Amino acid sequence: MSLLAALRWAPLLLLCGVILGAIGALALELPRTALAEALGSPETLFALGFSLRTSLAALGLALLLSLPAAHLLARRRFPGRAAVETLLDLPMVTPPLVAGIGLLFLLRRDGLPGSLLAQAGIELLFSPAGVVLAQTYIAASVLVRAARAAFGAVDPGYAETAATLGLPPVWVFLLVEVPMAGRALLAAAILGWSRALGEFGATLMLAGATRMQTETLPMAVYLNIASGRTDIAIACALLLLGTAFALLLALRLATAEAGACRS
Amino acid sequence: MPELKLVAARARTLAPIDLELARGEALAVLGPSGAGKSTLLKLVAGLLPCRGRVMIGGRDMAGVPPHRRQLGYLSQELHLFPHLSVRGNLALALRFSGLPRRDRAARIEETLALCAIAHRAGRFPATLSGGERQRAALARALVRQPRLLLFDEPFSALDPGTRQRLWRDVGALRERLGLAALIVTHDPAEAAALATRRIALEAGRLRPA
Repeated sequence: MSLLAALRWAPLLLLCGVILGAIGALALELPRTALAEALGSPETLFALGFSLRTSLAALGLALLLSLPAAHLLARRRFPGRAAVETLLDLPMVTPPLVAGIGLLFLLRRDGLPGSLLAQAGIELLFSPAGVVLAQTYIAASVLVRAARAAFGAVDPGYAETAATLGLPPVWVFLLVEVPMAGRALLAAAILGWSRALGEFGATLMLAGATRMQTETLPMAVYLNIASGRTDIAIACALLLLGTAFALLLALRLATAEAGACRS
Repeated sequence: MPELKLVAARARTLAPIDLELARGEALAVLGPSGAGKSTLLKLVAGLLPCRGRVMIGGRDMAGVPPHRRQLGYLSQELHLFPHLSVRGNLALALRFSGLPRRDRAARIEETLALCAIAHRAGRFPATLSGGERQRAALARALVRQPRLLLFDEPFSALDPGTRQRLWRDVGALRERLGLAALIVTHDPAEAAALATRRIALEAGRLRPA
């Protein structure tokens, strides 16, 4: 290999090496038996199950809100649309910790929304519902942007034709536009889910870090590193990395197939 | 009673238009690109906000959404749903018709045969030839047994041989079913082949052809 070729590959190899090095260092930090024990511990299993449950609930909520909102943005022109789109992009560039503080102040009991929710018997702060809210907030910001692009890529002529074929508007959306944007929406959903799964900052502010109650995988890493239980922290970190890798691989396959279909 | 009646109907770039189309009549509206031909069809289909009156089968269409207008619309791009087979495209068009499932299946097979596309019923649009796609889209437009057909240059992308064969078949089929049709085209040969009457549309205004 010539020096030029080696230099060309070096940055890529260095980046991959750093990522693999960090994962390997985590995996090799503990003896294999201790790691297996930590992976099977009740706290690790709780964090894994809780993370999957809350992130799936958040994904469902985010889809319910984001798909109709993204469709409206893709199909309708209205005054201030650019400002609305920019506003919806804001959570993507705001640190989740800051978003969490804002939501915490918005929903505290002495504020109007918080007191109304409390009167209705709904407790969002420092509860599993708060975890779902924080994850929904983060997932929705990713979803709405990706879904808007996905709907924008579907020729509106299909919806017009469907309408002349007797389909009411909601069914045009569900039976024509969603399936036609399907692969791109699937990719968006996987990305939104992975963001929800790895969410930490907003969750910490809204739901707190309570062991075996609001303990997602990232929260378990934080709690156990802070309390010196490195074995549980490493087990949770590895589970989080493994799940994220599987989701990102699925995303890559979904988008690759979408590309193949288009061509 | 005319099948279609427009009274001072106007939208976007169209000047107020008065027009009548009798049952079984095929009217070609000839005009160059940008004359407002597609706008005229979208106005009749309810796909654009319209001022003035649009009446189909003697009923005022004010406030009637496109899915309740009982018409078959063939656009230039056809817009066959790519995620559904030809049969699936027809089934979707009948899904909200109120017909029992068994009657729907029979109607679909009957319409596929009528449009000579039954042999491709299980295929997806991307795998069909240009002429087959036209036949599939025509079958989908006819399966609901509309009062009125709207054609927006649907045959313009075909080779001359296929186009002439389709003109002949579609014309015969329309006459057999006794359907009224509003056809917009820039091609005088297409107007002559498909229509029983012709008018011209230029810069948003109708005049005799």
